[in-house]
Amino acid sequence: MSRKKLVSMMLISLFIIFALTLTGQAQEGEKETLTVAQVADITTLDPQKANDIYSANVMTQIYNKLVKMDKEMNIVGDLAKSWENPDDNTWIFNLKEGIKFHNGQDFTAEDVKFTIERLKDPSTASPGKWLVEKITEVEVVDDYTIKLITNEPFAPLLSNLARYEMFILNKEAVEKYGENYADNPVGTGPFMFEEHIYGDKVILSKFEDYYKGPSDIEEIVYRAIPEDATRVIEIESGGIDIMYNMPVQELDRLGDAKNLNVIETLGQSTLYMGFNFKVEPFDNKKVRQALNYAVDKKGIIDAVFYGKANPSYGPLSPSIWGFDKTLEPAYPYNPEKAKKLLEEAGYPDGLEITAFTDPRTTRKNVTELVQAYLSQIGVKVDIQTMEWSRFLSETASGINGMFILGWTGTGDADGGLYPRFHSSNMNSSNRHNWATDELDTLLEKGRTTVNTKERKEIYKEAQRYIIEEASDIFIAVTENIAVATNNIKGFELYPSNINPLYNVKIEK
Amino acid sequence: MSRYIIKRLLYLIPVLFGVSIIIFGIIHLAPGDPAQVMLGPRASEQDIIQLREELGLNESLPVQYFTYIKNAVQGDFGNSIQTGRPVFEEIKSRFPATLKLSVLGMVLAIVIGFPLGVIAALNQDTWIDKLSSFLALVGFSIPNFWAGLMLMLLFASIFPILPSSGYGSWKNLVLPSLALAIQTIAVIARMTRSSMLEIIRKDYIKTAKAKGISAKLVLVRHIIRNALIPVVTIAGLYFGHSLGGVVVTETVFSYPGIGRLLVSAIRSQDYPVVQTGVLVFAAGVGVVNLIVDIIYGYLDPRIKAQYRAIKENDQEKLDMIGNESSIDKKMKEEGEDVDAK
Repeated sequence: MSRKKLVSMMLISLFIIFALTLTGQAQEGEKETLTVAQVADITTLDPQKANDIYSANVMTQIYNKLVKMDKEMNIVGDLAKSWENPDDNTWIFNLKEGIKFHNGQDFTAEDVKFTIERLKDPSTASPGKWLVEKITEVEVVDDYTIKLITNEPFAPLLSNLARYEMFILNKEAVEKYGENYADNPVGTGPFMFEEHIYGDKVILSKFEDYYKGPSDIEEIVYRAIPEDATRVIEIESGGIDIMYNMPVQELDRLGDAKNLNVIETLGQSTLYMGFNFKVEPFDNKKVRQALNYAVDKKGIIDAVFYGKANPSYGPLSPSIWGFDKTLEPAYPYNPEKAKKLLEEAGYPDGLEITAFTDPRTTRKNVTELVQAYLSQIGVKVDIQTMEWSRFLSETASGINGMFILGWTGTGDADGGLYPRFHSSNMNSSNRHNWATDELDTLLEKGRTTVNTKERKEIYKEAQRYIIEEASDIFIAVTENIAVATNNIKGFELYPSNINPLYNVKIEK
Repeated sequence: MSRYIIKRLLYLIPVLFGVSIIIFGIIHLAPGDPAQVMLGPRASEQDIIQLREELGLNESLPVQYFTYIKNAVQGDFGNSIQTGRPVFEEIKSRFPATLKLSVLGMVLAIVIGFPLGVIAALNQDTWIDKLSSFLALVGFSIPNFWAGLMLMLLFASIFPILPSSGYGSWKNLVLPSLALAIQTIAVIARMTRSSMLEIIRKDYIKTAKAKGISAKLVLVRHIIRNALIPVVTIAGLYFGHSLGGVVVTETVFSYPGIGRLLVSAIRSQDYPVVQTGVLVFAAGVGVVNLIVDIIYGYLDPRIKAQYRAIKENDQEKLDMIGNESSIDKKMKEEGEDVDAK
């Protein structure tokens, strides 16, 4: 082979590479495009298959639900105009008229019936099936009236219906696309699905026939940028307009940037170090209380969350419906009291316990600080790190120690308490291995009492009971933090961190 | 030649089988349960058992492996546990991105690294050589995620001329492929330098010079060509190494390739995607090794002659080439470059 041939071969291969790089090149249009960065790519746009907040954020632009939660966590109508309870087991929803799906069809009660029945169907295998478990019958009264019947009075129904798994589907589209539905979603929301470039981005375009009128924004691009540092550089250099999950350690620096706004809101989830009541010494209430007093939550919040979190008030975040507003932060730091309680409990010389965490940095850091605080009252903590899915299954079957976990729930006290503390959830979401008749009764009453005032009282009692029993070391309620460039107006963060963008405007 | 290539491609099949068994073993031995990850903290025991059943995870490992292979041979690699889409689709949609990145990274490494090595060798022990050694040491020591972040800071934030992340235009490729190439540039530069220095001292170079061949021609035809052989070997080996770098680089630059797909699949125990993704990487390394062997043939006629002899079934010739080392030695002793006839 001659040198010429070698050179020409190299040239050809170079050319091919060059051509390859050009083919993917996108045309940059003049459109009003809003670019939003999330931490991960969406997994699906079929709401009944989704189990992650990133997919939920995209779907909330594409779909509507029967009812939704506003920023203050009040339930308001979305596709439903109004609703009533002729009796405690019956819910009648009057639907808004003249709403169109992206495929041009009218939205009717049939679509609601189809959505709920598909969710209930075991062959759908939806992670959201539990939301509609209590619904036994869905009856289409007329095109714009639907009746839901539950097997017992079920007060949290509305907040369940406001979850993202409850987005209303278009029957024809779901049946038409079958297995490929997730790549061809059809909803009634202000934005239509355009394209999903796997691993990279999702593109949505404005839906002209949206029932509240078309949005100001022509196009939304959701980009997946997993690396914190990369997201920060992108927003600084103007590559994106809005970023979620602001890394707190960068806040000081970014907060000073003139062209950026930092938006914060109290989140829905609580972070706690839960006890397994079946394991010694956690079966002793005084020990549980002592461990609580021994940990300085504020110290943890400053060190790990750079101050961007609140100390826990108990098992629920203040943004959850049913939170007892008269509560103070639970178990303020008091090492003296902790030592005394430990002595009373019969451990004057301290004790040795195990704490379990998954490998996420934040959780590990919090666990290490808990370890440090507890060592000051003579409690030696052995930390064990466990991969996430194993952590979940082992804590569910009862882990040999205490475990760090966050709980988001539904936005309603029932979703924050019933799965964690009711006896029927032993061996699954009741990781404390703890249930008492008293608490069971309260949680059941909370579910079946439709009168909201009475319900609030019930949950008040339940929260106080749980705090007194010290089910966890109550640590923190975290904040949702986003950053937007200055020209983005009308952007709001929701406690659920699922944020509609319909009202956002881009200022020139 | 084409027969040789086909044969080599067929050899890849048992290799891939081996890889598939190893990776299958590793991911199933690792703790964790995809059903639990999918259903989250609220899941009941019963739901998890049911989902495991549906995913076929309750079968014994050999049965699972056999099912996987049986379907894979028919082109069905299963569905992603995370997204429910066919794994083949997931990989296919990301493959071009990774191909572009890794090939461009390699081209950059050769195009930059090789001349650097040549210049260093020709200026041995001068400040140029020392500077290039120093830079190569630094380049080799920089982890590529850090190199990526620094490049991003420099060219996207301080001097905003390139996008810091994403995919679509050629601009998106510049920084990641450079970040990926830095270590390989250093290795290739060092390798070229030492290989050149070794050859410059060879007697046949003296002979060539003595014959009155111009210095330029000696450099191009005698030194560089012979120096290329070990460099090609290293480049081939480093291609495999840089596929590991692809995983990191893609994550740092939010680049939608197979590397990033693998990272998220491993996190959520998405067995089918991990298995198939690793297989694709393994096949990539295999193909690159084949390409390296073919390039050898062009660089070193002795090796090509070997193929030919095999093809023509010329036993005598084969024996002769088989004794290559002695012929080679003799030729070299005589001060004759094998290539300079």
